[in-house]
Amino acid sequence: MLALYLAQIVNSGLALGAVYGVMALGFSLIFSASRLINFAQGELLLLGGLTIMSLAGVMQLPPAAALLAAAVAGFLLGRTLFSTTLGLTLRATPLRQLMLTVAASLVFQGVAILCWGKNPLMPPRLLPLPDLRLGLFFLGRDTVTALALAVAAVIVLGLFLGRTRLGRALRATSQNAVAARLQGVDTVFCHALSFALAGALASLAALAVGPQTGLRYDMGLGLGLKGFAAATIGGYTSLGRVFAGGIILGLAEAAMVLTVSGEFKETAIYVLITILLVAAPREHDERP
Amino acid sequence: MTVPRNLSLGLFFAALAVVGLATPGFQLLAVNQHLFLAVNVLALNFCLGLGGQISLAQAAFAGLGAFGSVLLHDRFPEATLVIVPAVVLGTGLLAAMLSRPMERLGEGFLAMATLCVSLVFTNLVLTLESVTGGSAGHMANARLALPLLGSLSGDRATFFCFAGLLALGSYIFLALRDSRLGRALAACRGDAQAASSLGVDRAAVRSLSFGLGGGLSAAAGVIHGHYTGFISPEQYHLELSLKALLFLVIGGPGNLLRPILAALVLETAMSWLSVLGDARTLVNGLLLGAALLAGYWRASR
Repeated sequence: MLALYLAQIVNSGLALGAVYGVMALGFSLIFSASRLINFAQGELLLLGGLTIMSLAGVMQLPPAAALLAAAVAGFLLGRTLFSTTLGLTLRATPLRQLMLTVAASLVFQGVAILCWGKNPLMPPRLLPLPDLRLGLFFLGRDTVTALALAVAAVIVLGLFLGRTRLGRALRATSQNAVAARLQGVDTVFCHALSFALAGALASLAALAVGPQTGLRYDMGLGLGLKGFAAATIGGYTSLGRVFAGGIILGLAEAAMVLTVSGEFKETAIYVLITILLVAAPREHDERP
Repeated sequence: MTVPRNLSLGLFFAALAVVGLATPGFQLLAVNQHLFLAVNVLALNFCLGLGGQISLAQAAFAGLGAFGSVLLHDRFPEATLVIVPAVVLGTGLLAAMLSRPMERLGEGFLAMATLCVSLVFTNLVLTLESVTGGSAGHMANARLALPLLGSLSGDRATFFCFAGLLALGSYIFLALRDSRLGRALAACRGDAQAASSLGVDRAAVRSLSFGLGGGLSAAAGVIHGHYTGFISPEQYHLELSLKALLFLVIGGPGNLLRPILAALVLETAMSWLSVLGDARTLVNGLLLGAALLAGYWRASR
């Protein structure tokens, strides 16, 4: 019985955790580059997912094309978000920039309502991956899809940041924007790139979460907040740790659903996030 | 410099009194909702405008006030004089206690932590269905009643309760801002580390402003809960906190009148947008974004 519970926790925890992990990567990219917490990250996922769902419906996209289309759509959405928020207010106070992302999230949500309505929509499974059995553990196809997408995203992002000139410029901006600018790095371009990459990641996360829970106009805040919590657990600096933060959060959530109650789960998770923020402040004392 | 400030405040409250006396009772329903928001904007101004601490927990504090007062009045219908101060003080103390461990968090992290406080409140209300009514809500049968004034019910009485609360809050805000404590808070807002090095007990002074903000929101929630006759987590959801913060940022944290006016004017404009149906969310976002950008460009010129 215990083994069954454990297997269930692992299956659903990894499925959600992978999504949180990918969202967390987007959060940490933007936060590291510009010290901005992006309230519209969840809406990037929503709008990206809905766009791909419609594209796939009209164009009958094969899996590789769906992946590419998701990444491109998310990239463009993220770039648009930058142009309408931080790009316009580079010298504004962090609070005003934060509030602009709140306004942007309302705009994105409004677009989603106008174009796709308020009813939940269940997108098709665009990546036909099979179920997987690993000894005791059974991983459903949604879990396998989410994990495959997330691990691929971490690897590609890691290679981009570590091995390319542009990636190194982005890392330099994250570490010290003034020094990077003195070395000839276009830091504004790097800020824009971090938003665009976060958009692409959110859109890919939508491919994983859409078939699990459906897409609904008001789902952005909850997913965004979990992504933020995962990034906080991971510490914002290392891609691996940030992704692991998402997995830990997903497993904790799944464990709470099975051991405490589904109703109490949300309360417990938000209490946990608050405690985490307060109890682990050394990394982010007095920072935005 | 004091005279123009007092003059503008006096004019504002005189205009508010005229609105309360001249507007037909049924039309005050919408105005009272805007005043409820305006009191929350002022409450947030204690935390952010004076102490430099962002908070997205105002909705939770208002909800605590509303649920606390309504549920206690169900058991003790005649005890308004005891229940209301107890609920307001209790919520203020809770807010102050929550503020202390969060004091060192930077703006963005504090926003997220207080956002979680708001969500914890909403989810607790939903979970404790047997007490709170859960998502279905709870009827507020008992009215607020004071010994000499009698029952405080009806649109006009509620209007003047909110206006009185706004006036009291404004008085406390100005008195605090101009005091030694206010200067300590301003030092924390300007440079927290420098304030510490000058001997300011940051956690203590900031928890006081946070607690005052929490108590004021709770008082607004008490009036609102009994006025609407029905309380549900939807009324005290995160949207209220976000709106309060947006209007405060648009009006300018630390200013007294401008954020209140921003809340009243923009919220009225946004309520007219209900004719747009599903397009309302999009237009709300555009309107708020435009107001934020206009404020930024005006300040940077």
